[in-house]
Amino acid sequence: MTEQGTTHVIEVTINGQLYSRTVEARQLLVHFLRDTLDLTGTHIGCDTGSCGACSIILNGKLVKSCMMLAPQADGAVIETVEGLAQNGELNPLQESFSRNHGLQCGYCTPGMLMAGTYLLRENSNPTEEEVRRGIKGNICRCTGYVNIVQSIMDVAGGHGPEQAEGMVGEEQR
Amino acid sequence: MLLKSVNYVRPESVSEALGILSSNEGAAPLAGGQSLTNVLKHRVASVDLLVDISALSELRTITRMTDGSIEVGACATYDEIDHSPDVRAGHDILAREASHIEDQQIRNRGTIGGNCCLSDPTNNLPPLLVALDATMNIRAAAGSREVAAEDFFKGYFLTALEPGELLVSITIPPIPVGAGAGYVSLSVAADSKTIVRAAARVRVNGVIEEARVVLARVASVPIRHYAMEEALRGVAPTTESVRAAAELIGSDVEPIADGHGSSEYRREMARVVARRAVLAAIEEGGRK
Repeated sequence: MTEQGTTHVIEVTINGQLYSRTVEARQLLVHFLRDTLDLTGTHIGCDTGSCGACSIILNGKLVKSCMMLAPQADGAVIETVEGLAQNGELNPLQESFSRNHGLQCGYCTPGMLMAGTYLLRENSNPTEEEVRRGIKGNICRCTGYVNIVQSIMDVAGGHGPEQAEGMVGEEQR
Repeated sequence: MLLKSVNYVRPESVSEALGILSSNEGAAPLAGGQSLTNVLKHRVASVDLLVDISALSELRTITRMTDGSIEVGACATYDEIDHSPDVRAGHDILAREASHIEDQQIRNRGTIGGNCCLSDPTNNLPPLLVALDATMNIRAAAGSREVAAEDFFKGYFLTALEPGELLVSITIPPIPVGAGAGYVSLSVAADSKTIVRAAARVRVNGVIEEARVVLARVASVPIRHYAMEEALRGVAPTTESVRAAAELIGSDVEPIADGHGSSEYRREMARVVARRAVLAAIEEGGRK
């Protein structure tokens, strides 16, 4: 049993690195990532579980890190947006967001990337409707959803003829 | 956002959790936390000690019994229910509706027990569990008891649970031979807060032999509409007869008015979703 208390020592593996820290029980997981560990790629948009900017993958599951307390993550394996690029190179989904103008102001992008990553792991060949449902928990206040959906569809491989033509157009430019 | 200072404990068994809950007046169980975390942020309820039951494997099992009933652990997440072959095998409607709760992140954390124990009138699963005649299995340090889903929901954010008690699992009986289930919501947007909804389980053998019709968001808790159920008994399973029965939803139902609709609008829409849910149940029963 984790002993009862207002502070706890937790061990969390984030993007392959093990961290051990003393946390207050009341600390939200997103604040642990951003303030305690300085992993500021994960954003805070709404603080009420509505916007999904703080989405991370915890033990293989996409979750909103503002809807968990830091001690609940004790022993967890976490993936954040910082873990997507490898050796300084954007991964294919990040490349696709860049290529398809999937970012406008960029604030929602960390959450969108994690939701997209999770979605493609669960379903490597989603339909457009499945992509839209997959990012339903993520709000883009620039309302740039068309390009975000296209960014995810583009790497999914199962893109329709419209997207394929769009891709060719992009490359030609 | 800074929460009020709180104690946290992660017990290793249900017995241990029950011991802590019964000996600490300000203790509250923390399951998926998809509502409670916001409650803590807004400080609308005072909790001194959070008892984190979300990781208890004994609360997460989903078991299909030999009689065709299914027992779902209180901490099974919506996503686990959605992807459970055991749920899909005989209670597809539960998996289907779990897959339409809010969004993927919430479905990965939120639990069936939390959905019930919060007793928010907009929550998805309570009306379905009442329609399917589910039993809520409750444990306390002193012993255990069972409460019918119909008697479990007591009011806004109020259930039959007493202090120190924990909802440990929910048993849903098999859908009877010749019966089907239906569930229809009028919502603000796809997979979002409901304006009014209905759930039904209907058994047909030539004529309608039994109907359970549950309305949600027309009262503080899901309610069975007994007059409509009675009117359906013995009649042909046709659109006309179901429509006529739904017309009995009248001034006996006094829904709240809010930004999404007046009381009269909700009552009118209750007739529509009740009719559609019963027809969907008849159709599903006919396919089996």
